[in-house]
Amino acid sequence: MGWAGETMAFDLTLRLIETVLPAAAGTSVVVTVDGADDLPVVKRWVEATGNTILLVHPDSVEIFRGRITDPIEALAPDRRPGYRLWIYTNFHCNLACDYCCVSSSPTARRRIVDVESFAQIVDESVGAGVSELYLTGGEPFLLVDLDERLRIATAALPTTVLTNAMVWQGERLRRLEALPREGLTLQISLDSSTPELHDRHRGAGSFERALAGVRTAIDLGFRIRLAATLGSDAASAETELVALFDDLGLDESQRVIRRVAQQGSANAGLTVSRASLVPEVCITADGVWWHPVAAADPAMQVSDDWSPIGKAIEDVRQEYRNHRIASDVLASTFPCA
Amino acid sequence: MADDRELLIGAVAYSANVVPIWEGIRDYFADGPAPMDFVLFSNYERQVEALFDGHIDIAWNTNVAWVRTLRRSGGTARALASRDTDLVFTTVMVGRAGSGLAGLEALRGQRVALGSRDSGQARILPLHYLREAGIAEGDVELVIFDSDVGKHGDTGRSDLDALRAVIDGDAEVAAVGVNTWDSLRAGGDAATADLEVVWESEHYSHCNFTALETLSSERAGPWVDHLMAMSWDDPDHRRILELEGLQQWTPARLEGYASLEAAMTEQHISDHW
Repeated sequence: MGWAGETMAFDLTLRLIETVLPAAAGTSVVVTVDGADDLPVVKRWVEATGNTILLVHPDSVEIFRGRITDPIEALAPDRRPGYRLWIYTNFHCNLACDYCCVSSSPTARRRIVDVESFAQIVDESVGAGVSELYLTGGEPFLLVDLDERLRIATAALPTTVLTNAMVWQGERLRRLEALPREGLTLQISLDSSTPELHDRHRGAGSFERALAGVRTAIDLGFRIRLAATLGSDAASAETELVALFDDLGLDESQRVIRRVAQQGSANAGLTVSRASLVPEVCITADGVWWHPVAAADPAMQVSDDWSPIGKAIEDVRQEYRNHRIASDVLASTFPCA
Repeated sequence: MADDRELLIGAVAYSANVVPIWEGIRDYFADGPAPMDFVLFSNYERQVEALFDGHIDIAWNTNVAWVRTLRRSGGTARALASRDTDLVFTTVMVGRAGSGLAGLEALRGQRVALGSRDSGQARILPLHYLREAGIAEGDVELVIFDSDVGKHGDTGRSDLDALRAVIDGDAEVAAVGVNTWDSLRAGGDAATADLEVVWESEHYSHCNFTALETLSSERAGPWVDHLMAMSWDDPDHRRILELEGLQQWTPARLEGYASLEAAMTEQHISDHW
């Protein structure tokens, strides 16, 4: 660097001192830069002075006054993106629930993750530090060879598969019986303790068949979890559901009650977006998604390509960090009472 | 003999903006009939103590600090002025859009996130409103964030923590001051777009300039008159008014503190700290 270069670096450092140091802790300021050549100076200065680069633009850098605690670290370990990996094995289903978040039905485009791809996803997941796998659909057990995927998954990581428990007959039942019990949880959808509400959204007769499936799974020695999805018409159902869960001897880790999201077939329900959902990385045959509750919403697709999974997880984590940090910076600018 | 000492105003340093706000106000008063200086406190309780000890003449108080001062003074403390925005303050209950929740009655059985225990808008009044609506303790699950105790909710930190609980699925609704909610909406926070107000309180009063009866009207009067003369149309004044979150200084609306007084009584909140 000649004299001219040194002068420019000095000017930049002065600009950083004048702009960043007077800013209040927790706020952000924008410092103009002369292209990418300035970045090393900015990075060195920011690191040495205890500040944080938020965003790099072609001709400016947004700098946070102070150090930022990683928003990922602030989450409970089992809520951090990448702890759990969701895989949509397929999207077709024997049911056509009116609140399905991905519009699954017998006629839905199948989008099957074949066994070879599945094995690669599991292999990469282990390498990326994923701690557990969740398989969902559609109805995963419509894939007659689902058991092959479940063997691959359970050999690598604790695995949960979501199911309506209605298709375990004939060959599918035989394959279910032969599945490993260790490391496998069957998460069965059951929306109410009586047929009326469950059947209203999932189809006539589905409650009795699901309950029969629950008994089959228990009789076969599988660990089960029951999951209810409640709409605005289910206000009173929760208490009765809890009683049913108690009767079945399910502990807290074996029961899930969640609300309908306005996604897929649901024309009402909770509004969700990338900014307002803590991500749970989700793989489908079409790529990577922010969260399994919105794996058919184009706005929630992170990329077209799920490999390498480690990069997909880091991309999601980084976007989440950016949302959270931007929110906190905005918060610090509040005029107060 | 006329008392020409400059008035000393107390304020709480809830953020770095407090310094330019009060330097601006001091500069505005410097050339007027009632020069002043200011002292910053780390919390409202310390400020109220300083007012009673005579270390400051006027305290820029939150609604909670006002009620405490009023009670400790035996009802003789005076509210000299408020911001226009202090007269129409509300608490909003915010949930995720599409939740179907509407009104306080719908909150039975839900998780309600509340802010700091000394925040009128995010804790004390929400508990009062729930009680008024016949929702007893135990009818809702309270998720508490005592994030900025001492600042009476001024920093907005506990409001944001409560809203974050809704976003993260740890609560169905959050009770926050309308100023926090409006600021988030105005700032275009993306997550906020997925939230909506499920209930809003009636207007109540928030901050005011509080003086004890020992401050003579000869000293307070010119200061209040000059304060009221700040104009939104004057760019120099406007800079200060915008930072402090108002368009016009105005007489305080004392009836607007009735709900908070009732809330503090029923919750046995001490007049001291």
